[in-house]
Amino acid sequence: MAAADSPSATLRRHDLCSRGIRLAGKMRSDVVDLLDTYVERQGLDASASVAAVEGVPAAAVEHWDEQTGTQRLLENLAAYRAFRTLLAQMLEEQQEQVGEADTALGRALAAVLLQVSAFAYHLEELLRLESRGPPSEEAVGSPSPPHLGLFERKMRGLGVLRELAQWAVRSARDLRQLTKPSPGSSSAPSPADSP
Amino acid sequence: SHIQYERVGADVTMKCGSMDWDAAVTWTANGTDIDESHLNGSYLILKNVDLTQGGQYSCYEGSSWHLKYQTYLRVGTPPKEPVLMCRSNNYPKGFYCSWHLPTPTYIPNSFNISVIHGTREMVCEKDAFPKNRCHIRYLQLFSTVKYKVTLTVTNALGKNSTTLTFDEFAIVKPDPPESVVAKPVPNNPRRLEVSWQNPSSWPDPESFPLKFFLRYRPLILDQWQHVELSDGTSHTITDAYAGKEYIIQVAAKDNDIGTWSDWSVAVHATPWTEEPKHLTTEAQITETTSASTSSFMPPPTTKICDKGAVVGSGAVAVCWTAGLVVAAYGILFI
Repeated sequence: MAAADSPSATLRRHDLCSRGIRLAGKMRSDVVDLLDTYVERQGLDASASVAAVEGVPAAAVEHWDEQTGTQRLLENLAAYRAFRTLLAQMLEEQQEQVGEADTALGRALAAVLLQVSAFAYHLEELLRLESRGPPSEEAVGSPSPPHLGLFERKMRGLGVLRELAQWAVRSARDLRQLTKPSPGSSSAPSPADSP
Repeated sequence: SHIQYERVGADVTMKCGSMDWDAAVTWTANGTDIDESHLNGSYLILKNVDLTQGGQYSCYEGSSWHLKYQTYLRVGTPPKEPVLMCRSNNYPKGFYCSWHLPTPTYIPNSFNISVIHGTREMVCEKDAFPKNRCHIRYLQLFSTVKYKVTLTVTNALGKNSTTLTFDEFAIVKPDPPESVVAKPVPNNPRRLEVSWQNPSSWPDPESFPLKFFLRYRPLILDQWQHVELSDGTSHTITDAYAGKEYIIQVAAKDNDIGTWSDWSVAVHATPWTEEPKHLTTEAQITETTSASTSSFMPPPTTKICDKGAVVGSGAVAVCWTAGLVVAAYGILFI
């Protein structure tokens, strides 16, 4: 991990983390607003429960405090790459459904998609600093979403956005953990350093 | 010994053990004979019992005074729906739930709490103190699955329950900030320096930073002023009214989730004011009639006098008057 220890790498990591934390905060705020817009435009009940949706990365994690820095980055990257695909699909479906390219919901989805892409980029850069480099993007496992009826698609979209909102909070926490000085944070799992 | 629970307002009939209805018996309540008007044969009838009628009831055979039956009567009510609250003041470690009954039952109650997260049943460990409280460690973080907490209260006369459903983020509410200190700033009549500490119950303020809300007002006014601070545990108030005592409080919230804490303990502080030294000196000059005024210094903060910077009784009078006018104007303003 020689590269990761150099002063310039440390500074770059710190800079990427700080910016990432701010981006995650903005992303979360925008996703929460998007959720309101989505629920309203799609005619859904905001309190409806959505069962775990296949292909949507769940933010829920056990032993979060014991994760290494690299684990955090890898899990975050996998999640945001998946969200990038999912949001792009949602945007496409929304445009098909409404029949026009430019709607308030469409714009909001596009804005969040942009932030998700930017965040994924931040994560890839952080992984490069780990001398590990980001994993190549897998050939898309489920290239098109399962054929769902309109209502199911709407509910799936709700699930996607809710999970993304959770991820945005988790990502800010993950990046803060990365900025904490902790020996061997990128190596084999170390004992939990938070109480 | 035998305990009998009855509802307030119930009619209670006590039989004297295995004695026949027509046997001659004497009933006592807490050692005092009960009047025969309450008896129906050898049965004791208590109509519309109230809380004061609880106690030890004994039945004795008429002539031999052998104790034939004894019971301890406890009068109470079945439980009303309990009040349940769950909160995480130590995120991300876990959360606690606490409960109470809206009205007392006057008899012993037992509480049972169940916590379900999705399909998983979690154990809420009861606290030794306070009694009506239990805590849970989070096994998962950042879950969208809601928690369902059901509290059941049971006593000898009935049971009742209540359920709370919430998600992980919604119940996060830190304890108020601690060690709030407010101090005047020397030579600054409109400033107060406030500092505080993160609540000690918040386990990891580095990874889970708190943001703060400060409110302050002079004691003589009702309207609060507010400042929200996204980081740091100190703030300088720069618009305090000169010479007025202030009351100051701080609240905390996780930067991203949950709700604001309660307000901290209030602290009081008054901004720095200059000592009115020149008043004493003027009196001294008048008394002594000495021409020596070289030791006198004009009041340091009264800017009107700075230009003059003259030592002498004439200049002193001007300075002092100007200061008085400014002070009077200031009071008028408030």
